[in-house]
Amino acid sequence: MRISPKVAQILAVAVLGAATLLTLVVLVFVIVFVLVKGLPGVTWQFLSTAPLDMGKSGGIFPTLVGTVLLPLLAIAIALPLGVGTSVYLTEYTRENRFTQALRFGTDCLAGIPSIIFGLFGFIFFVVMLRMGWCLLSGALTLAIMVLPTIIRTSEEAIRAVPNAYREVSFSLGATRWETVLRVVLPNALPGIVTGVILGIGRSIGETAAVIFTAGSSLRMPTTVFDSVRTMSVHFYILAREGISNENAYATAAVLIISVLLINLVAYTMMHRFIAKRAK
Amino acid sequence: MNQPPPIKIAIKNFRVFQGKEEALRGVTLDVPANRVLGIIGPAGSGKTTFLRALNRLNDLSPDTHIEGQVLLDGEDIYHPEYDVVSLRKRVGMLFALPVALPMSIYENVVYGPRLSGIRKRAQLDEIVERSLTSAFLWDEVKDRLQMSGLRLSGGQQQRLCLARVLAMDEAEVILLDEPCSGLDPISTAKIEDALTLLKSKYTIILVTNNTKQAARVADDTAFFLLGELVECGPTKKIFTVPDDKRTNEYVTGRFG
Repeated sequence: MRISPKVAQILAVAVLGAATLLTLVVLVFVIVFVLVKGLPGVTWQFLSTAPLDMGKSGGIFPTLVGTVLLPLLAIAIALPLGVGTSVYLTEYTRENRFTQALRFGTDCLAGIPSIIFGLFGFIFFVVMLRMGWCLLSGALTLAIMVLPTIIRTSEEAIRAVPNAYREVSFSLGATRWETVLRVVLPNALPGIVTGVILGIGRSIGETAAVIFTAGSSLRMPTTVFDSVRTMSVHFYILAREGISNENAYATAAVLIISVLLINLVAYTMMHRFIAKRAK
Repeated sequence: MNQPPPIKIAIKNFRVFQGKEEALRGVTLDVPANRVLGIIGPAGSGKTTFLRALNRLNDLSPDTHIEGQVLLDGEDIYHPEYDVVSLRKRVGMLFALPVALPMSIYENVVYGPRLSGIRKRAQLDEIVERSLTSAFLWDEVKDRLQMSGLRLSGGQQQRLCLARVLAMDEAEVILLDEPCSGLDPISTAKIEDALTLLKSKYTIILVTNNTKQAARVADDTAFFLLGELVECGPTKKIFTVPDDKRTNEYVTGRFG
Protein backbone atom coordinates (compact mmCIF):
# COMPACT_ATOMS: atom_id res chain seq x y z
CA MET A 1 0.00 0.00 0.00
CA ARG A 2 1.27 3.43 -0.86
CA ILE A 3 1.36 5.98 1.90
CA SER A 4 -0.09 9.27 0.78
CA PRO A 5 2.41 12.14 0.63
CA LYS A 6 0.49 13.98 3.32
CA VAL A 7 0.76 11.12 5.78
CA ALA A 8 4.40 10.60 4.83
CA GLN A 9 5.06 14.26 5.56
CA ILE A 10 3.45 14.03 9.00
CA LEU A 11 5.35 10.83 9.73
CA ALA A 12 8.63 12.38 8.65
CA VAL A 13 8.14 15.39 10.90
CA ALA A 14 7.23 13.12 13.80
CA VAL A 15 10.20 10.79 13.35
CA LEU A 16 12.75 13.56 12.78
CA GLY A 17 11.33 15.54 15.68
CA ALA A 18 11.49 12.52 17.95
CA ALA A 19 15.11 11.87 16.96
CA THR A 20 16.04 15.47 17.73
CA LEU A 21 14.18 15.40 21.01
CA LEU A 22 15.81 12.14 22.09
CA THR A 23 19.27 13.50 21.29
CA LEU A 24 18.57 16.66 23.22
CA VAL A 25 17.14 14.80 26.19
CA VAL A 26 20.18 12.52 26.46
CA LEU A 27 22.53 15.50 26.17
CA VAL A 28 20.68 17.62 28.69
CA PHE A 29 20.34 14.67 31.04
CA VAL A 30 24.08 14.00 31.06
CA ILE A 31 24.93 17.64 31.63
CA VAL A 32 22.27 18.19 34.29
CA PHE A 33 23.18 14.94 36.06
CA VAL A 34 26.84 15.87 36.30
CA LEU A 35 26.12 19.46 37.28
CA VAL A 36 23.59 18.51 39.99
CA LYS A 37 25.96 15.97 41.48
CA GLY A 38 29.08 18.08 41.03
CA LEU A 39 28.21 21.75 41.41
CA PRO A 40 27.68 21.68 45.19
CA GLY A 41 31.34 20.71 45.54
CA VAL A 42 32.59 23.48 43.27
CA THR A 43 33.71 26.36 45.44
CA TRP A 44 36.37 28.98 45.04
CA GLN A 45 38.36 26.99 47.57
CA PHE A 46 38.00 23.86 45.39
CA LEU A 47 39.20 25.67 42.28
CA SER A 48 42.09 27.53 43.83
CA THR A 49 43.82 25.07 46.15
CA ALA A 50 45.95 22.00 45.62
CA PRO A 51 44.55 18.52 46.30
CA LEU A 52 45.31 16.94 49.66
CA ASP A 53 45.60 13.27 50.40
CA MET A 54 45.62 12.16 46.71
CA GLY A 55 42.53 14.22 46.04
CA LYS A 56 40.36 12.93 48.85
CA SER A 57 40.11 16.48 50.06
CA GLY A 58 41.44 19.84 48.94
CA GLY A 59 41.02 21.37 45.50
CA ILE A 60 42.00 20.81 41.88
CA PHE A 61 44.09 23.84 41.06
CA PRO A 62 47.10 22.00 39.54
CA THR A 63 44.83 19.85 37.35
CA LEU A 64 43.08 22.99 36.18
CA VAL A 65 46.45 24.37 35.12
CA GLY A 66 47.31 21.06 33.45
CA THR A 67 44.01 21.04 31.59
CA VAL A 68 44.71 24.49 30.20
CA LEU A 69 48.38 23.96 29.35
CA LEU A 70 48.23 20.52 27.76
CA PRO A 71 45.65 21.19 25.03
CA LEU A 72 47.08 24.65 24.46
CA LEU A 73 50.54 23.25 23.82
CA ALA A 74 49.10 20.42 21.72
CA ILE A 75 47.20 22.88 19.50
CA ALA A 76 50.22 25.15 19.29
CA ILE A 77 52.13 22.21 17.82
CA ALA A 78 49.34 20.77 15.68
CA LEU A 79 47.96 24.01 14.21
CA PRO A 80 50.94 25.13 12.12
CA LEU A 81 51.61 21.54 11.01
CA GLY A 82 47.97 20.88 10.15
CA VAL A 83 47.27 24.15 8.38
CA GLY A 84 50.61 23.93 6.59
CA THR A 85 49.78 20.44 5.36
CA SER A 86 46.33 21.40 4.18
CA VAL A 87 47.61 24.49 2.38
CA TYR A 88 50.22 22.34 0.68
CA LEU A 89 47.66 19.71 -0.30
CA THR A 90 45.16 22.19 -1.69
CA GLU A 91 47.24 25.03 -3.11
CA TYR A 92 50.58 23.59 -4.05
CA THR A 93 49.85 20.14 -5.41
CA ARG A 94 47.45 18.81 -7.95
CA GLU A 95 45.37 15.81 -7.00
CA ASN A 96 47.57 12.74 -7.53
CA ARG A 97 48.43 9.36 -6.02
CA PHE A 98 50.57 11.00 -3.37
CA THR A 99 47.92 13.41 -2.10
CA GLN A 100 45.30 10.68 -2.19
CA ALA A 101 47.54 8.42 -0.12
CA LEU A 102 48.16 11.26 2.31
CA ARG A 103 44.47 11.96 2.67
CA PHE A 104 43.71 8.28 3.15
CA GLY A 105 46.42 8.16 5.79
CA THR A 106 45.03 11.09 7.75
CA ASP A 107 41.53 9.62 7.59
CA CYS A 108 42.85 6.35 9.01
CA LEU A 109 44.73 8.26 11.68
CA ALA A 110 41.49 9.97 12.70
CA GLY A 111 39.83 6.64 13.36
CA ILE A 112 42.50 5.12 15.58
CA PRO A 113 41.49 4.72 19.26
CA SER A 114 43.25 7.18 21.52
CA ILE A 115 44.79 4.49 23.67
CA ILE A 116 46.92 3.49 20.67
CA PHE A 117 48.22 7.05 20.43
CA GLY A 118 48.88 6.87 24.16
CA LEU A 119 50.85 3.69 23.75
CA PHE A 120 52.80 5.13 20.83
CA GLY A 121 53.51 8.32 22.78
CA PHE A 122 54.64 6.28 25.75
CA ILE A 123 57.01 4.10 23.72
CA PHE A 124 58.34 6.85 21.49
CA PHE A 125 58.43 10.07 23.51
CA VAL A 126 58.47 8.83 27.10
CA VAL A 127 60.78 5.82 26.71
CA MET A 128 62.74 6.04 23.47
CA LEU A 129 63.40 9.78 23.53
CA ARG A 130 63.76 9.59 27.34
CA MET A 131 61.46 12.53 27.83
CA GLY A 132 59.63 10.82 30.67
CA TRP A 133 56.02 11.51 31.63
CA CYS A 134 55.71 15.19 31.03
CA LEU A 135 53.69 18.03 29.60
CA LEU A 136 55.66 17.94 26.35
CA SER A 137 55.29 14.18 25.79
CA GLY A 138 51.58 14.50 26.37
CA ALA A 139 51.22 17.56 24.13
CA LEU A 140 53.14 15.92 21.28
CA THR A 141 50.98 12.82 21.53
CA LEU A 142 47.77 14.84 21.61
CA ALA A 143 49.05 16.92 18.70
CA ILE A 144 49.44 13.80 16.57
CA MET A 145 45.99 12.73 17.66
CA VAL A 146 44.20 15.95 16.68
CA LEU A 147 46.27 16.55 13.55
CA PRO A 148 43.92 14.62 11.22
CA THR A 149 40.92 16.63 12.42
CA ILE A 150 42.72 19.91 11.87
CA ILE A 151 44.03 18.88 8.45
CA ARG A 152 40.62 17.69 7.27
CA THR A 153 38.61 20.68 8.46
CA SER A 154 41.22 23.17 7.23
CA GLU A 155 41.41 21.46 3.88
CA GLU A 156 37.66 21.65 3.42
CA ALA A 157 37.62 25.27 4.51
CA ILE A 158 40.39 26.12 2.05
CA ARG A 159 38.68 24.28 -0.79
CA ALA A 160 35.51 26.25 -0.09
CA VAL A 161 37.27 29.56 -0.84
CA PRO A 162 36.01 30.55 -4.31
CA ASN A 163 38.54 30.02 -7.06
CA ALA A 164 37.64 33.42 -8.49
CA TYR A 165 39.32 35.05 -5.48
CA ARG A 166 42.55 33.25 -6.28
CA GLU A 167 42.37 34.23 -9.95
CA VAL A 168 41.83 37.87 -9.05
CA SER A 169 44.76 37.78 -6.68
CA PHE A 170 47.02 36.18 -9.29
CA SER A 171 45.85 38.60 -11.95
CA LEU A 172 46.91 41.47 -9.68
CA GLY A 173 50.44 40.13 -9.59
CA ALA A 174 50.35 38.15 -6.36
CA THR A 175 52.49 35.07 -5.97
CA ARG A 176 50.89 31.87 -4.76
CA TRP A 177 52.16 32.47 -1.24
CA GLU A 178 50.84 36.04 -1.17
CA THR A 179 47.52 34.71 -2.39
CA VAL A 180 47.48 32.10 0.37
CA LEU A 181 48.28 34.70 3.03
CA ARG A 182 46.01 37.51 1.89
CA VAL A 183 43.04 35.76 0.35
CA VAL A 184 42.88 32.04 1.03
CA LEU A 185 43.67 31.80 4.74
CA PRO A 186 41.58 34.78 5.91
CA ASN A 187 38.58 33.35 4.08
CA ALA A 188 39.18 29.84 5.37
CA LEU A 189 39.67 31.00 8.94
CA PRO A 190 36.18 30.20 10.29
CA GLY A 191 36.55 26.61 9.08
CA ILE A 192 40.04 26.33 10.51
CA VAL A 193 38.79 27.63 13.86
CA THR A 194 36.10 24.95 13.83
CA GLY A 195 38.82 22.33 13.44
CA VAL A 196 40.77 23.86 16.30
CA ILE A 197 37.71 23.84 18.57
CA LEU A 198 37.10 20.19 17.76
CA GLY A 199 40.77 19.49 18.45
CA ILE A 200 40.68 21.33 21.79
CA GLY A 201 37.52 19.48 22.75
CA ARG A 202 39.09 16.17 21.92
CA SER A 203 42.30 16.87 23.81
CA ILE A 204 40.56 18.26 26.92
CA GLY A 205 38.45 15.18 27.22
CA GLU A 206 41.27 12.79 26.45
CA THR A 207 42.27 10.52 29.30
CA ALA A 208 43.90 7.33 28.04
CA ALA A 209 46.55 8.96 25.87
CA VAL A 210 47.33 11.51 28.58
CA ILE A 211 47.85 9.08 31.47
CA PHE A 212 50.41 7.21 29.38
CA THR A 213 52.36 10.27 28.28
CA ALA A 214 51.86 13.21 30.63
CA GLY A 215 51.57 11.09 33.72
CA SER A 216 49.38 11.96 36.66
CA SER A 217 51.52 13.97 39.02
CA LEU A 218 49.55 16.21 41.35
CA ARG A 219 52.34 18.71 41.66
CA MET A 220 52.21 22.06 39.93
CA PRO A 221 54.16 21.94 36.62
CA THR A 222 56.91 24.53 36.29
CA THR A 223 58.43 23.47 32.94
CA VAL A 224 57.24 21.43 29.96
CA PHE A 225 59.33 18.56 31.28
CA ASP A 226 57.21 18.22 34.41
CA SER A 227 54.49 15.66 34.69
CA VAL A 228 50.95 17.05 34.89
CA ARG A 229 47.52 15.72 35.67
CA THR A 230 44.54 17.00 33.71
CA MET A 231 41.02 17.19 35.06
CA SER A 232 39.94 14.22 32.96
CA VAL A 233 42.74 12.11 34.37
CA HIS A 234 42.03 13.39 37.87
CA PHE A 235 38.38 12.51 37.52
CA TYR A 236 39.27 9.07 36.20
CA ILE A 237 41.65 8.32 39.05
CA LEU A 238 39.30 9.67 41.75
CA ALA A 239 36.43 7.58 40.46
CA ARG A 240 38.44 4.49 39.51
CA GLU A 241 40.32 4.24 42.77
CA GLY A 242 37.26 5.19 44.77
CA ILE A 243 39.12 8.07 46.37
CA SER A 244 36.30 10.58 46.47
CA ASN A 245 33.06 10.52 44.55
CA GLU A 246 32.12 14.08 45.50
CA ASN A 247 35.40 15.48 44.26
CA ALA A 248 35.17 13.38 41.10
CA TYR A 249 31.78 14.83 40.25
CA ALA A 250 32.89 18.32 41.14
CA THR A 251 35.86 17.92 38.79
CA ALA A 252 33.57 16.63 36.05
CA ALA A 253 31.30 19.65 36.50
CA VAL A 254 34.24 22.03 36.15
CA LEU A 255 35.38 20.12 33.07
CA ILE A 256 32.00 20.37 31.37
CA ILE A 257 31.70 24.06 32.15
CA SER A 258 35.20 24.69 30.79
CA VAL A 259 34.42 22.94 27.51
CA LEU A 260 31.21 24.94 27.14
CA LEU A 261 33.07 28.16 27.88
CA ILE A 262 35.82 27.41 25.36
CA ASN A 263 33.29 26.73 22.63
CA LEU A 264 31.39 29.87 23.49
CA VAL A 265 34.49 32.05 23.39
CA ALA A 266 35.74 30.50 20.14
CA TYR A 267 32.42 30.91 18.36
CA THR A 268 32.03 34.48 19.57
CA MET A 269 35.50 35.32 18.33
CA MET A 270 34.75 33.71 14.98
CA HIS A 271 31.47 35.53 14.51
CA ARG A 272 33.05 38.81 15.42
CA PHE A 273 35.73 38.16 12.81
CA ILE A 274 33.20 37.28 10.10
CA ALA A 275 31.05 40.27 10.95
CA LYS A 276 34.05 42.56 10.73
CA ARG A 277 34.89 41.37 7.24
CA ALA A 278 31.34 41.63 5.93
CA LYS A 279 30.81 45.16 7.23
CA MET B 1 50.93 62.08 -38.27
CA ASN B 2 50.01 59.02 -40.23
CA GLN B 3 52.71 56.92 -38.69
CA PRO B 4 51.29 53.55 -37.61
CA PRO B 5 51.05 53.25 -33.80
CA PRO B 6 53.79 51.14 -32.14
CA ILE B 7 53.01 47.48 -31.54
CA LYS B 8 52.39 46.72 -27.86
CA ILE B 9 51.73 43.00 -28.12
CA ALA B 10 52.73 40.81 -31.05
CA ILE B 11 51.15 37.37 -31.17
CA LYS B 12 52.87 34.94 -33.50
CA ASN B 13 51.32 31.68 -34.65
CA PHE B 14 50.00 31.14 -31.15
CA ARG B 15 48.28 27.89 -30.19
CA VAL B 16 46.69 26.79 -26.93
CA PHE B 17 45.92 23.17 -26.18
CA GLN B 18 43.60 22.22 -23.36
CA GLY B 19 44.15 18.52 -22.91
CA LYS B 20 43.90 17.13 -26.42
CA GLU B 21 41.69 19.88 -27.69
CA GLU B 22 43.21 22.76 -29.60
CA ALA B 23 41.40 25.79 -28.21
CA LEU B 24 43.37 28.33 -30.19
CA ARG B 25 44.61 27.35 -33.65
CA GLY B 26 47.54 29.44 -34.66
CA VAL B 27 46.64 33.09 -34.08
CA THR B 28 48.88 35.82 -35.47
CA LEU B 29 47.93 39.33 -34.50
CA ASP B 30 49.54 42.67 -33.68
CA VAL B 31 47.96 44.76 -30.95
CA PRO B 32 48.84 48.45 -31.37
CA ALA B 33 49.53 50.55 -28.28
CA ASN B 34 47.02 53.04 -26.85
CA ARG B 35 44.05 51.72 -28.75
CA VAL B 36 41.06 49.60 -27.87
CA LEU B 37 41.03 46.24 -29.61
CA GLY B 38 37.61 44.58 -29.57
CA ILE B 39 37.40 40.82 -29.85
CA ILE B 40 34.13 39.37 -31.03
CA GLY B 41 32.97 35.91 -31.93
CA PRO B 42 30.41 33.30 -30.93
CA ALA B 43 30.70 31.27 -27.72
CA GLY B 44 33.50 28.71 -27.83
CA SER B 45 35.54 30.61 -30.39
CA GLY B 46 38.57 30.94 -28.10
CA LYS B 47 38.19 34.61 -27.18
CA THR B 48 38.56 34.07 -23.47
CA THR B 49 41.36 31.54 -23.92
CA PHE B 50 43.17 34.10 -26.04
CA LEU B 51 42.72 36.83 -23.44
CA ARG B 52 43.81 34.66 -20.54
CA ALA B 53 46.91 33.66 -22.47
CA LEU B 54 48.06 37.28 -22.55
CA ASN B 55 48.67 37.46 -18.79
CA ARG B 56 49.31 33.74 -18.47
CA LEU B 57 46.28 33.01 -16.33
CA ASN B 58 45.90 29.87 -18.43
CA ASP B 59 48.94 28.58 -16.57
CA LEU B 60 46.67 27.94 -13.62
CA SER B 61 44.53 25.37 -15.40
CA PRO B 62 45.99 21.89 -15.51
CA ASP B 63 46.89 20.25 -18.85
CA THR B 64 47.14 23.47 -20.76
CA HIS B 65 50.11 23.99 -22.99
CA ILE B 66 50.96 26.46 -25.68
CA GLU B 67 52.93 26.83 -28.89
CA GLY B 68 54.07 29.98 -30.62
CA GLN B 69 54.98 33.33 -29.15
CA VAL B 70 53.44 36.30 -27.40
CA LEU B 71 55.74 39.30 -27.39
CA LEU B 72 55.04 42.14 -24.98
CA ASP B 73 57.19 45.12 -25.97
CA GLY B 74 59.27 42.65 -27.94
CA GLU B 75 59.85 40.21 -25.07
CA ASP B 76 58.48 36.68 -25.17
CA ILE B 77 56.21 36.33 -22.14
CA TYR B 78 56.36 32.53 -22.38
CA HIS B 79 60.13 32.45 -22.16
CA PRO B 80 61.05 30.15 -19.23
CA GLU B 81 62.87 32.97 -17.48
CA TYR B 82 60.13 35.54 -17.94
CA ASP B 83 58.78 36.81 -14.61
CA VAL B 84 55.06 35.96 -14.53
CA VAL B 85 54.36 38.09 -11.46
CA SER B 86 55.67 41.24 -13.10
CA LEU B 87 53.82 40.31 -16.30
CA ARG B 88 50.50 40.22 -14.44
CA LYS B 89 51.23 43.58 -12.85
CA ARG B 90 51.75 45.03 -16.31
CA VAL B 91 48.79 43.25 -17.88
CA GLY B 92 45.71 43.69 -15.69
CA MET B 93 42.47 41.82 -16.14
CA LEU B 94 38.75 42.27 -15.60
CA PHE B 95 36.62 39.13 -15.45
CA ALA B 96 33.15 38.49 -16.78
CA LEU B 97 31.75 38.23 -13.28
CA PRO B 98 32.87 41.13 -11.13
CA VAL B 99 34.79 39.70 -8.19
CA ALA B 100 35.31 42.07 -5.31
CA LEU B 101 37.59 40.45 -2.79
CA PRO B 102 35.93 40.05 0.62
CA MET B 103 37.60 43.08 2.13
CA SER B 104 36.92 46.79 2.25
CA ILE B 105 36.64 48.93 -0.89
CA TYR B 106 39.87 50.61 0.13
CA GLU B 107 41.73 47.34 0.59
CA ASN B 108 40.43 46.04 -2.72
CA VAL B 109 41.94 48.99 -4.55
CA VAL B 110 45.29 48.88 -2.79
CA TYR B 111 45.68 45.10 -3.13
CA GLY B 112 48.11 45.42 -6.03
CA PRO B 113 50.05 48.43 -4.68
CA ARG B 114 50.48 46.73 -1.31
CA LEU B 115 51.94 43.69 -3.09
CA SER B 116 54.39 46.03 -4.78
CA GLY B 117 55.48 47.18 -1.35
CA ILE B 118 53.77 50.55 -1.03
CA ARG B 119 53.12 51.14 2.69
CA LYS B 120 52.74 54.89 3.14
CA ARG B 121 49.19 55.78 4.04
CA ALA B 122 49.21 59.09 2.18
CA GLN B 123 50.45 57.45 -0.99
CA LEU B 124 47.83 54.68 -0.75
CA ASP B 125 45.10 57.25 -0.11
CA GLU B 126 46.16 59.12 -3.21
CA ILE B 127 46.14 55.91 -5.29
CA VAL B 128 42.65 55.02 -4.05
CA GLU B 129 41.19 58.39 -4.96
CA ARG B 130 42.90 58.54 -8.35
CA SER B 131 41.95 54.97 -9.37
CA LEU B 132 38.36 55.18 -8.21
CA THR B 133 37.98 58.50 -9.99
CA SER B 134 39.31 57.05 -13.24
CA ALA B 135 36.88 54.15 -12.88
CA PHE B 136 33.95 56.57 -12.37
CA LEU B 137 33.25 55.18 -8.91
CA TRP B 138 34.79 57.73 -6.54
CA ASP B 139 31.71 59.88 -6.06
CA GLU B 140 29.58 56.89 -5.17
CA VAL B 141 31.89 55.41 -2.56
CA LYS B 142 34.13 58.18 -1.24
CA ASP B 143 32.25 58.33 2.06
CA ARG B 144 32.30 54.60 2.73
CA LEU B 145 35.70 53.34 1.67
CA GLN B 146 35.86 51.05 4.70
CA MET B 147 32.69 49.23 3.68
CA SER B 148 33.08 45.70 2.33
CA GLY B 149 33.43 45.62 -1.44
CA LEU B 150 30.93 42.76 -1.49
CA ARG B 151 28.13 45.14 -0.57
CA LEU B 152 28.42 47.12 -3.78
CA SER B 153 26.09 46.41 -6.69
CA GLY B 154 27.34 44.34 -9.63
CA GLY B 155 28.03 47.38 -11.76
CA GLN B 156 29.86 49.11 -8.93
CA GLN B 157 31.86 45.97 -8.22
CA GLN B 158 32.99 45.81 -11.83
CA ARG B 159 34.15 49.42 -11.66
CA LEU B 160 35.89 48.57 -8.39
CA CYS B 161 37.67 45.78 -10.27
CA LEU B 162 38.70 48.30 -12.92
CA ALA B 163 39.98 50.66 -10.23
CA ARG B 164 41.94 47.77 -8.75
CA VAL B 165 43.75 47.31 -12.06
CA LEU B 166 44.28 51.04 -12.53
CA ALA B 167 45.77 51.25 -9.03
CA MET B 168 48.76 49.30 -10.21
CA ASP B 169 51.46 51.67 -11.23
CA GLU B 170 53.01 49.08 -13.51
CA ALA B 171 49.83 48.41 -15.51
CA GLU B 172 50.17 49.06 -19.23
CA VAL B 173 47.62 46.71 -20.75
CA ILE B 174 44.06 46.05 -19.58
CA LEU B 175 42.31 42.86 -20.61
CA LEU B 176 38.55 42.78 -20.26
CA ASP B 177 36.63 39.53 -20.54
CA GLU B 178 33.01 40.42 -21.33
CA PRO B 179 33.08 42.91 -18.47
CA CYS B 180 29.55 44.12 -19.00
CA SER B 181 27.75 40.85 -19.61
CA GLY B 182 25.93 40.99 -16.30
CA LEU B 183 25.55 44.73 -15.98
CA ASP B 184 22.74 47.22 -16.47
CA PRO B 185 22.98 49.75 -19.32
CA ILE B 186 24.06 52.63 -17.09
CA SER B 187 26.91 50.70 -15.52
CA THR B 188 27.87 49.48 -18.96
CA ALA B 189 27.99 53.05 -20.25
CA LYS B 190 30.19 54.09 -17.33
CA ILE B 191 32.66 51.30 -18.03
CA GLU B 192 32.70 52.17 -21.74
CA ASP B 193 33.27 55.86 -20.99
CA ALA B 194 36.12 54.94 -18.68
CA LEU B 195 37.73 52.78 -21.37
CA THR B 196 37.53 55.51 -23.97
CA LEU B 197 39.38 57.87 -21.63
CA LEU B 198 41.88 55.27 -20.49
CA LYS B 199 43.25 54.35 -23.87
CA SER B 200 45.53 57.36 -23.89
CA LYS B 201 47.47 55.65 -21.11
CA TYR B 202 46.77 51.97 -21.63
CA THR B 203 46.45 49.39 -24.36
CA ILE B 204 43.03 47.84 -24.02
CA ILE B 205 41.75 44.50 -25.26
CA LEU B 206 38.04 44.00 -24.85
CA VAL B 207 36.37 40.64 -25.39
CA THR B 208 32.67 41.11 -25.84
CA ASN B 209 29.61 39.10 -26.72
CA ASN B 210 27.88 42.28 -27.66
CA THR B 211 28.91 43.33 -31.18
CA LYS B 212 27.34 46.74 -30.63
CA GLN B 213 29.69 47.31 -27.73
CA ALA B 214 32.66 46.56 -29.96
CA ALA B 215 31.29 48.96 -32.54
CA ARG B 216 30.93 51.69 -29.89
CA VAL B 217 34.22 51.31 -28.07
CA ALA B 218 36.81 49.51 -30.17
CA ASP B 219 39.23 51.18 -32.57
CA ASP B 220 40.09 47.84 -34.10
CA THR B 221 38.09 44.65 -34.04
CA ALA B 222 39.15 41.04 -34.37
CA PHE B 223 36.70 38.29 -35.22
CA PHE B 224 37.35 34.83 -33.77
CA LEU B 225 35.63 31.66 -34.90
CA LEU B 226 36.26 28.12 -33.65
CA GLY B 227 39.68 28.95 -32.26
CA GLU B 228 40.82 30.83 -35.35
CA LEU B 229 41.29 34.50 -35.99
CA VAL B 230 39.17 35.11 -39.06
CA GLU B 231 40.13 38.71 -39.57
CA CYS B 232 41.19 41.86 -37.79
CA GLY B 233 40.97 45.44 -38.93
CA PRO B 234 39.61 48.89 -38.14
CA THR B 235 36.24 48.53 -36.46
CA LYS B 236 34.45 50.52 -39.12
CA LYS B 237 35.71 48.23 -41.84
CA ILE B 238 34.89 45.02 -39.94
CA PHE B 239 31.34 46.20 -39.39
CA THR B 240 30.72 47.50 -42.89
CA VAL B 241 32.93 45.88 -45.51
CA PRO B 242 34.73 42.92 -43.92
CA ASP B 243 36.96 40.82 -46.16
CA ASP B 244 35.57 37.50 -44.99
CA LYS B 245 32.05 36.30 -45.63
CA ARG B 246 31.80 34.71 -42.17
CA THR B 247 32.63 38.02 -40.48
CA ASN B 248 29.90 39.69 -42.44
CA GLU B 249 27.40 37.03 -41.44
CA TYR B 250 28.34 37.35 -37.78
CA VAL B 251 28.25 41.13 -37.51
CA THR B 252 24.97 41.34 -39.36
CA GLY B 253 23.54 38.79 -36.97
CA ARG B 254 22.99 35.93 -39.34
CA PHE B 255 24.59 33.42 -36.96
CA GLY B 256 26.26 33.21 -33.56
